[in-house]
Amino acid sequence: MKRRELIAGIAASTVLPSPSVLRAEQLFRLALTPVFLDNDAVVIARLRDALSAGMGRDIDLVQRRTYQEITGALLDGSVDAAWVCGFPFLQHRSQLTLLGVPIWRGQPRYQSYLIASVTDEAAGLEDLRGGMHAFSDPDSNSGFLVTASDLARMGQAPDTYFARTIFTWGHRNVVRAVAGGLVRSGSVDGYVWETLAAVEPELVARTRIVAKSEWLGFPPFAARTDRMADADVSALQRALLAMDRTDAGRAALDLLFLDEITEPDIRLFDGIAARMAVLEQAG
Amino acid sequence: MRQGTLSRIPITLRVALAMGALMIALGLVASQQVLRSLGRLHDDRLREIARLHVEGLSVALGPLVLHKDVWEVYDTLDRARAASDGQRMLFTVVADDRNSVLAATDPLRAPVDSDATPFSENASDLSGLTASGNAQQVRVRAPLLVAGRMVGQIVSEIDVGDLVAERKRITLYLLLANAGATSLLVCAGYFLVARMLKPVALLAQHMDDAGGAPSRIPESEIPKSDTELARLLRTFNAMTGAIDARAEAERRLAERERFVSLGRLSSSLAHEINNPLGGLLNTVDTIRAYPSRPEVVQKSVDLLERGLVHLKDVSQAILEENRLDRAGLPLRLTDFDDLKLLFEPEAARKGQSLDWQVQADTDDLSSLPAAPVRQIVLNLLLNASAAAPEGGSISLRVRPDNNDSVKLTITDDGTGFSAQDRDRLMSSAPVAPGGGVGLRLVHDLVAGLDGRIQHVRDAGRTSLAVILPKGRTA
Repeated sequence: MKRRELIAGIAASTVLPSPSVLRAEQLFRLALTPVFLDNDAVVIARLRDALSAGMGRDIDLVQRRTYQEITGALLDGSVDAAWVCGFPFLQHRSQLTLLGVPIWRGQPRYQSYLIASVTDEAAGLEDLRGGMHAFSDPDSNSGFLVTASDLARMGQAPDTYFARTIFTWGHRNVVRAVAGGLVRSGSVDGYVWETLAAVEPELVARTRIVAKSEWLGFPPFAARTDRMADADVSALQRALLAMDRTDAGRAALDLLFLDEITEPDIRLFDGIAARMAVLEQAG
Repeated sequence: MRQGTLSRIPITLRVALAMGALMIALGLVASQQVLRSLGRLHDDRLREIARLHVEGLSVALGPLVLHKDVWEVYDTLDRARAASDGQRMLFTVVADDRNSVLAATDPLRAPVDSDATPFSENASDLSGLTASGNAQQVRVRAPLLVAGRMVGQIVSEIDVGDLVAERKRITLYLLLANAGATSLLVCAGYFLVARMLKPVALLAQHMDDAGGAPSRIPESEIPKSDTELARLLRTFNAMTGAIDARAEAERRLAERERFVSLGRLSSSLAHEINNPLGGLLNTVDTIRAYPSRPEVVQKSVDLLERGLVHLKDVSQAILEENRLDRAGLPLRLTDFDDLKLLFEPEAARKGQSLDWQVQADTDDLSSLPAAPVRQIVLNLLLNASAAAPEGGSISLRVRPDNNDSVKLTITDDGTGFSAQDRDRLMSSAPVAPGGGVGLRLVHDLVAGLDGRIQHVRDAGRTSLAVILPKGRTA
C-alpha cells in the first residue's frame, strides 16, 4: 500500500513542469561552426562563461554537424546568433548582419591550407591530381571554396580532378584523414591547422602544407538582420567586442588562440566573394 | 631378448616401473584433457571477444557502409582503434558489397577503393575462429547487414599473442607439475612396493642361498602383519625342512645300500672262510698223528700257512671294504685285487666265469679316490652276477680313456636291465628303495666324481661303462 502511494507520488511529480524547462525557453542560443574546437569541452565552457558574464545572462552554445545545419538554424530562428564561415555568410548576405570579426595573429584574416602527408613531395595542387582529397564541408570557405575555385580557374572540377573526394565535416578531421593516410591531400582552415599544431603537435606533424591561399576574411559572428534591434543580440555584440577586456573573455580568447573580436568590415570578405564568383562562372 | 632383459630386473623395480609408466600415461592423458579444455576455453573467449568487436562495429558501420560514406567509416574505425589502443584489435578493414575497400584503420595498408580480397580470403568466420595455432594474430571476417541485406563485410586482425603465450606457459607448468607429481608417485610407489614385496625378495634370496640350495628363513624375518606372505614364507620353511629330510633319507639309504652289497657277499665269504678251515683242521690232525715225521709236519705247516694267509687276505679285504669311506685313499691296483678276492667266491658259487682285465697303471688310477670307485665296481659286479645266469660269464675291463679319464667296463650275459633299474642307474629321478643292488648309489657316486655311465645292450650282453675323469685326487 505504502509502496503504491510512493510510486504514485513520484509519477505525479514528473508530470509537473520543471524549472529547468522554463528557464531553457529564455536561454540565448549561439551556434558554433565546427571549427577545431568542436570537440573541446573546455573551450566551449570557457566561451559560454565569458559570453554569459558579458551579457549578464545564461546563454546556450549550439553545435551541429554541418555548416548548412548552423546556417539553416540561424535563418529559421532556431538560434539567435552564430559564429559562421565567411562563405555561408556571403551566400545569405541579404539576410545576415555581421556582429564582430575575431583578430588572429594581429589581423582579422586567415588562410586556407592545402595539406598532404609529411612524406608527400607534391609542390602544388597540380601535383595532387588523381589522389584522394578531403574537404571539410561544402559550405566552408577554407575547407572547400578555395580549392574548388582554384580548380575552376584550372578548368577542373574536384570530382574529376581527384580520384575521390570526401567531406569530413570538420577541419580537424581533414588533418586526421591526411595524417592517417586515408586521403592524399586535404583543404583545411589555416587557423585550425596552426592552432592544432600547438594543441596536438603529433597529429599535425604527420602533415605538411603544400600551398597556402591569399589572406581571407576570418569567420565572423553574425545574426539575422531583422533581429539586430533585439536587446539580446545587441548585448551579445557588446559582450563579443569587450571580451579582451574581461578576465573570463581573456581566458576564452587565449584558449581560442585569438587576440580579440573587433567591429566588422564587410570588405574583409571581398576575397571570398571573388572566389565564389569564379566558382559560379565555372558551374 | 627384450623379455629376457626385463625379466632380469628385480620384481620390486619392475612393479615400480610399471606403476611409473601407468602414472606417466595417466599424466599425459590428464594433461591432454586439460590442454584441450583450455584450448576450447581460449577459443570461446576469442570468439566472444571477436563477436563483441565485430558486432559492435557492425551496428555502427552498417548504415555508413550502405551509403559508402568513406569518412564516417574511417572515423568510426579510427575512434574504435584509438579506444582499443594496445588491446586486441590490430587492424580492421571494411569493404562494400563489391569487396572494394571503403576504409581501414591503416589506409596505407588497405587504400580506399582497393580490392579487399587479400584480406578476406584468409580470414575465418566467427564460428571457425581458433587460437590453437602458434600465430600471434588471427583474422576474422563478418558480413555487414542492414535490414537483413548484406551491404559489405568487415575483416579484423585480432591479437592472440597473450592467449598463445598463456597456453604455452600453462602447457609448460602442467608438464612440469605432472612430471614432478609422477616422479614423486613413482618414488613413493617404489618404496611402497619394495616394502610390500620385501618378503618376496627375502624368499628369492633364501631360495638360492649358498649355491642353489634353499635355506630356512629365520622366524624373526617373517613379517607379523602380512598374513598371506607370512603363510607363504612358513610354507617355504616347511618345504626346506622336507628337502633336508629327504636328503638325509637318501644319505641313509645309500649307507644302507652299501651294507646290503656287503651282506650279499657275506654267505659267499663265509664259504670262502669255512672251506679252507676244514682243510686246515685236517692238516692239524695230520700233524698230531705224525709228529715224529718231520717231512709230513713241514708240508702240513706250509699248507697251514697258505690257508691262514688266504684267510688273512679275505678278512683284510672285508676290513678294507668297511673302512674305505673313512680312509679317502687314492685308488691302487691292489684295490682291484681286493675286489677280485671278494667277488670271485660269489661268481664261483654260481659257476660263472670271470674275465678280469686291469690294464691301467698306478698313474692312471691314483687321481681317483679308492672308496667310491671300489663301491661302484663292487656293486656293478654283484649286479652283473645277479643278472647273469648259472654258468654265465662276467667281465671287468679297466683301462685309460683318452688320457684324461679312466673307463671301467662291466659286462654280463644276463637278460638286461628292467626299465625301472635302468632309471635308477641312469637318471636322477626319485625312485622307491629296493630293486637292483645299490644302482642308485652307483649313480650318485659317479655323479659325485663328475663321471658318466654308458649303457649298451648288444649281442645278448649287457655292457655298462663308467667313465671317470682324472684329476680328482682323494
